[in-house]
Amino acid sequence: MKTVTLGDYKRRMLQVLVHIQQHLDEPLPLEELAGVACFSPYHFHRVFKGMVGEPVKEYVRRLRLERAAQRLKLSPASVIDIALDAGYESHEAFTRSFKSAFGMAPSQFRMARGVRFARVPSGVHYCEPPSKRFRTLSRGGRMRVEIKTLKPMRVAFMRHTGPYDEVGKAWDLLLTVMGKEGYLGGNPMMLGICHDDPEVTPPAMIRYDACLTVDDGFVPSGEIGVQTVAGGEYAVTTHTGPYNQLGKIYAEFLGQWLPRSGRELGNSPCFEVYVNDPGSTPAEELMTDIYAPLREQEAVR
Amino acid sequence: MNTEAEEKLDLFKGNPEYAAKPKPALVKTGPAVYLAVDGVGSPDGAAFGEAIGALYGTAFTIKMTRKFAGLGDYAVSKLEALWPEMNGNPGADKTQWKWTVMIRTPEFVTAGDLTKAANVLSKRGKGAGVNKVRLMRINEGLCVQALHVGPYDQECRTVAAMKDFAGQHRLRFAGAHHEIYLSDPRRVEPAKLKTILREPVRKG
Repeated sequence: MKTVTLGDYKRRMLQVLVHIQQHLDEPLPLEELAGVACFSPYHFHRVFKGMVGEPVKEYVRRLRLERAAQRLKLSPASVIDIALDAGYESHEAFTRSFKSAFGMAPSQFRMARGVRFARVPSGVHYCEPPSKRFRTLSRGGRMRVEIKTLKPMRVAFMRHTGPYDEVGKAWDLLLTVMGKEGYLGGNPMMLGICHDDPEVTPPAMIRYDACLTVDDGFVPSGEIGVQTVAGGEYAVTTHTGPYNQLGKIYAEFLGQWLPRSGRELGNSPCFEVYVNDPGSTPAEELMTDIYAPLREQEAVR
Repeated sequence: MNTEAEEKLDLFKGNPEYAAKPKPALVKTGPAVYLAVDGVGSPDGAAFGEAIGALYGTAFTIKMTRKFAGLGDYAVSKLEALWPEMNGNPGADKTQWKWTVMIRTPEFVTAGDLTKAANVLSKRGKGAGVNKVRLMRINEGLCVQALHVGPYDQECRTVAAMKDFAGQHRLRFAGAHHEIYLSDPRRVEPAKLKTILREPVRKG
């Protein structure tokens, strides 16, 4: 079997970091960044956050600001020109961001002596030439993870498009309609498939499917559709605690455990299985199994 | 209808009848309605598992049918069980143990709701055991109650402490040993399982 190592993951992530710094004037969409080092676009933002310690968007924004800070010191360009180069449309917006990052306005920064960038988890700051190393986080490397092989699962689902914390509405409707038809008998699984990351996609555009396993007899109707969750190998970890901590767990799972696992992610979204009933379980006892699809291991020729 | 502002009925949360601590205490319980299945056999056996599956299937089907019909919403309560012989001498042969597994249910749930749910579940091919589910009303009155933390097979220590406590209050056990399961044994390690133990008591 050919396995990937933490070193491979770090090398590939470094390619992404260097690419970001060399293309700060471009929009840098996620798909492009994932493609730079062959990361699956479905999971790239979570791998990034877990490995680098900041969301991609934050990271890009910070590097643009740090580059602007360096230009303020080293070049005679006007503040507004530097602001425009950093992707800001107005002096005010730039000043606001700049102040929150460096604690002072751009004009003050230009005059100040010995200012330093705030500490960041990866240790990477804007510099020329780009840094050739970064610190990876390891906390999630010790997570308890099981590899499970699943058969394809047929699920009835209701699509929610909107803020993640409102997915309860889709669940309410799905479970009420399915429940009265007897589909809650026989201990079905309740799955959530999140097609977008709440930390990357604007809240109004997040797509989430509330899913309930069904047998072949189920016929979709109205707002309830049917789809098949792909079978194959999955890495599974359990989160015990409130649902609003899942983002952090995903980042540790995919950005810290995964690079040390010898495996790579497949090209389909992760899903969550809700083990207990949020209607009658205290938030700190809620259990969620996170399933991350794995790419088939390649045999060595 | 503004469902979000509506307070959902929860028979468990905040109910002093379920506020047990590891130290035994007296608790006054009122009449309560349950969905229940009676059976005989080991708690690790198939009959016990089927009974629990049938109970949950029925409980959620009734809840959702009523909710869909606009009859209000409520939380499905925790799993509970009566073990009539357990505070005496249950015998070593688990396959002969008698039990009643049950889920507490609002009083407005009717026999008609139950029949309808059993029919719809059977129609879906998910009817295993649902015809054994019955509505049951019990009134345990004064009880000694304690929270047992640990494996089920170590409950005897907690029960002994409850018996001592009852004796100190000139009370004796006078009803079926009652367990309320706060943890899921499939997912929680035995040492951390939380179970409320309840023993109805009488004077003397």
